[in-house]
Amino acid sequence: MEKTRKWRWGKNRWIVLALLILTIIAVNIYAPIQPHIQAAAENLSSEPLFTLPGIGDFYLTNTLVATILMDVVIIVIALIVRHTAKKDELAPKGLAGVFEMLVEMLYNMTESTAGKWAKKIFPWFATVLILVLFANLLKLIPGFETIGLLHHSAEGYEAQSLGGNWYTILNTKAEEGGYMVTPFLRGVSTDINFTLALAIIAVTMTQVIGFQANGFRYLEKFFNFRTIFKKPVFGLIDVFVGLLELISEFSKILSFTFRLFGNMFAGMVLMALVAAMLPVFMPAGIMLFELFIGVIQAYVFGMLTMVFMAQATQGHSAEEEHSNA
Amino acid sequence: MSGDIIEAAKFIGAGLAMIGALGAGIGIGLSVQGAVQGMARNPDTYGNLFTSMILGVAFSEAIAIYCLVIAFLMLFVL
Repeated sequence: MEKTRKWRWGKNRWIVLALLILTIIAVNIYAPIQPHIQAAAENLSSEPLFTLPGIGDFYLTNTLVATILMDVVIIVIALIVRHTAKKDELAPKGLAGVFEMLVEMLYNMTESTAGKWAKKIFPWFATVLILVLFANLLKLIPGFETIGLLHHSAEGYEAQSLGGNWYTILNTKAEEGGYMVTPFLRGVSTDINFTLALAIIAVTMTQVIGFQANGFRYLEKFFNFRTIFKKPVFGLIDVFVGLLELISEFSKILSFTFRLFGNMFAGMVLMALVAAMLPVFMPAGIMLFELFIGVIQAYVFGMLTMVFMAQATQGHSAEEEHSNA
Repeated sequence: MSGDIIEAAKFIGAGLAMIGALGAGIGIGLSVQGAVQGMARNPDTYGNLFTSMILGVAFSEAIAIYCLVIAFLMLFVL
């Protein structure tokens, strides 16, 4: 901190130039192909892992592998931070310092929105935010969506051996019996199951926290029949507004799900198309954009969870006090 | 022949679905405009305004994302 660090731009730009030239050479040797894009996660195993009666088969999908990787990364980071926190330093350095900053920032945000319910809401908010953040950022690691199993495909490409059991796909269409790649890892948020599960958890816990805060009066928000006998016209409007609230509660699940899934899947498609069409330099820009979108989407998902939970704790009683005063 | 028509209709439909992004673009622009004006007039409210702005942008963006999902469904699933 005492010494101002030297600006290393002078050295780094040569690295950037070398990488650029390397990309041009690599593209000329192995021309990129446009991958097969599929909305559902690809299966890695041809046999189902297990079968639940009435629901169906469960395959080992590439997003499941990525989810496990993400979990391992989060758990390892949590253990490192715990180890550092146990030392009881005033100002933790490195990873623990970063996470202390992050958690402190998130807690202050929760406290300013949710007030006395911050302690209840904060764990959900921080968990969702950190989970989605890691899910989105892990997608940017090289090797995601590019390294995988070869499988036969009707519109496949020819494969060339790289030695051993490794092959690469060439940019020539095979007449018959071509190959396509099923990647080992695919971005976790590009699987709709992940986002749907997270959305259901977030919305369900919103209702639970609403009940904890207001008791059964929480239901008055949705079924408001109290004013209908006093003032029939406005009471009817209140009933209607309550029904709208009920519908909006379900639409929250949908919007949570498709916001994250749509953003991340759009990013994946964009990346695949641009990498096939303009393989030099342009994918780096798209990667940067993906980084930005990933962080913003994690923030938005967590933030919305927190705001909905804070709204649920306020319930109807706050409004009544206001109108009585 | 009929397969080709269906293929063409998929692309046309996906293109038409994305018209919905127009409204979301206008909405995001308006909300950011309001927030930035507020920040410029009163820089102390930066934190509050930024949070509300991100929320508003997320809600408007959701509409565009619905269009995008429909377009993707037409292109890749149907």
